[in-house]
Amino acid sequence: MNESYKVISSSILFWFSQKKWFVYSVLVSIFLLNLTTPVGLTVPAYHSLIILLLVFMLVTFEPIPFPAIALLTLVLQVVLGVAPPNVVASSFMNDAVLFVMGSLMFAIAIVHQGLDIRLAKLIIKIFGKSKRLFLAGLMTISAIMSSFLGEHTVIAIMLPIGLSVIKNIDTQQSDGKNAVLLTLFSIAYGTIIGSIGTPSGGARNVIMINYLQEFSNVSIDYWKWMKHAYPILIIQLIVAYFVLQFTFPSSLNNIKMRGFKKNVGKTDVKKNINHLFSCLIIIGIIFSWFTFNDIYGLGIIALAGALIFMIFGMISWEEINKNTNWGVILLFAATISLGFQINETGASSWLVIKFNELLATLPSNSMNVSWSIMAVLSGLTANFFTSSATVSLIGPMAIELHPTDISFALSSAIASGFSFLTVISSPTAMILYSTGLVSTRMFFRVGILMFCISIIILYLMSQFYWVTL
Amino acid sequence: MKILIAIGGREYSKPTLDLGMKIANSFKSSTTIAYVGKKISQFSEKDVSVVHQNLDERELYRPGIRTLEWAYDFLISKEYIQEKVANKFDDYLLVDEENSRMKVLLKGQQSDKIDLIMRTGEIIEQLKNEVETNNHDITIIGGGGNTGIHQKLIQFIDSSVFVVKNYSVKKKYKILLPVNDSKGSDMAIETAINFAKSYKLNVEIVSVPEGNKPIDEVENILKKTKEKFSKNRIRTSTKLIDGTPVNSIIDYAKDNSIIILGVSPKNSIMKYFFGSKPLSIAQKCNCPVLITK
Repeated sequence: MNESYKVISSSILFWFSQKKWFVYSVLVSIFLLNLTTPVGLTVPAYHSLIILLLVFMLVTFEPIPFPAIALLTLVLQVVLGVAPPNVVASSFMNDAVLFVMGSLMFAIAIVHQGLDIRLAKLIIKIFGKSKRLFLAGLMTISAIMSSFLGEHTVIAIMLPIGLSVIKNIDTQQSDGKNAVLLTLFSIAYGTIIGSIGTPSGGARNVIMINYLQEFSNVSIDYWKWMKHAYPILIIQLIVAYFVLQFTFPSSLNNIKMRGFKKNVGKTDVKKNINHLFSCLIIIGIIFSWFTFNDIYGLGIIALAGALIFMIFGMISWEEINKNTNWGVILLFAATISLGFQINETGASSWLVIKFNELLATLPSNSMNVSWSIMAVLSGLTANFFTSSATVSLIGPMAIELHPTDISFALSSAIASGFSFLTVISSPTAMILYSTGLVSTRMFFRVGILMFCISIIILYLMSQFYWVTL
Repeated sequence: MKILIAIGGREYSKPTLDLGMKIANSFKSSTTIAYVGKKISQFSEKDVSVVHQNLDERELYRPGIRTLEWAYDFLISKEYIQEKVANKFDDYLLVDEENSRMKVLLKGQQSDKIDLIMRTGEIIEQLKNEVETNNHDITIIGGGGNTGIHQKLIQFIDSSVFVVKNYSVKKKYKILLPVNDSKGSDMAIETAINFAKSYKLNVEIVSVPEGNKPIDEVENILKKTKEKFSKNRIRTSTKLIDGTPVNSIIDYAKDNSIIILGVSPKNSIMKYFFGSKPLSIAQKCNCPVLITK
């Protein structure tokens, strides 16, 4: 009896030590549910905000699996009377969710083709004349590809190239260590910065476009987004290049390009017909995003990309099924559904009223102040909560601030892409961290400068460039 | 006997690995050397997995493998294993097993005494799973870093836990064995006898009278314990120390002591929230500490 009591109590304690944030989140939610509904807020709206807080805590601390958080979000919306079952079900699936699903599958199909060696040969051919030019090339190619294909695709293709370069670096000296970090951060920052460039660069962009269409009836096509975001991307890339050179000063003498070129050169890729098909499919899908976005939606086109790869036998369903993060798809679907209810119940309007009341107490209250708070809040939240989930939950509030002015919504989505501070903020940062070559502290140390500069660039562009469009 | 040695950074893990292998060799036990990789956010776990598969295909070492390669080279340099042309680390094969466990198989590997494995995730959860699945008797972990980890390991892992702090190959160690009349203390005595016998160490048996316990009774415990060691021809000395158990033992322990303690009989909930004497000693002492279970 005594032994079994020990085993049971130890098991319960272990469960508690692993899931304590789940217990705390539930207790906070129960406490809030028992408080009086704030003035000006309906009961469903108040409950939707409690669910929002619960989701924030659970996603940040990850005490339970993402699919469980997704299901909990759906169940609570119905049980707490936020929306009837059919409304919750219909808001669960839309083009943004299809885009998340399609882009993840499309990414797996592209990565599976092993295009990295071919790409490495191309980068050497164009940028191989000097080592600094080569690193600038890695960054630029990463950014351009990421702007169309998304971060997770590009980092998976580019990291092996980066690690092949690093393999030829002597890391015993500090100059060598800096060369390693310079190589890795060039790829990572290129990939992160690139993801703001087009709607297909990140799920958050598509989610915001979807919200704008639904809540404000404002339509942003692929080209219009690019016109707003690409100049920011270019300026950020130039700044990032110099920030990295300044942070990791290195003579680059330790990079043995000859060894890297030799390794890449001896790998034969000429006979691989799949590479040609892959490039054609990628070009076709990007072209479709540009031209047929209004008719078919970004999500359906992304799904079509994965579909073509499967039909031509270039990837099996088993491979896609094994590597697709279904938990993230479910979570995005559930948070987007919650985002819709926050808007429908009037919770977002109430939050904006409170936000404006708070601003009125400040000595200098202007559009610039509310823009700055919103952009910094979006950027910071995304760094601790991941970008797409941030936009799906904060997006309705950003639109509500100025429903007819797209600069607020665009700024919120773009600032959410500034995932320079923490390793959990984006797949790129997490993959970089998982190599064991970059610590969280180092990522933050470099990132804080880049984050601040990026917010300033975004502000200046929204004030002086976007108004001319 | 099965031993689990958890390693992290290369230089920091040297003493842990060295002492762990000495113990494993003394007991002729099978050993698992585990590297627990960084916990990956659920948002990115599939992306990270795809990238790592990509690295394998490109014959680039995935994170963690380099640390295991270093451990393997260290074992060869210290002659814990014999290197042959057939079992060079270059030809490794990573076998993906269940529950985030990956085993490194070296072509031509002759011995099944040493396993190199890699796990990914929260360290306590992963080591707990490893011990539960493979029934390890002792888990050996480095003493640096977060003391909270040691506390949780001692609390939740179903094996004895050896925290290797400030171990140096050059020092001549002796066992410091604090005893009382608890069941945990009996287990610690058994383990200390085995250790002292196979590792040829001297033993200092100490006891701290607690509460109103008569001195005669405590001296009797010391005497009985000494007899157990004498039967096994192990050299011992005994000492009665004054003061509170935790502080007295911490003050008494020297750099060259290996403290062996029994697990506290307190219930788990009390231990979790208020700690226990063995936990406090393991956290505060500046020498290797083994807590037996």
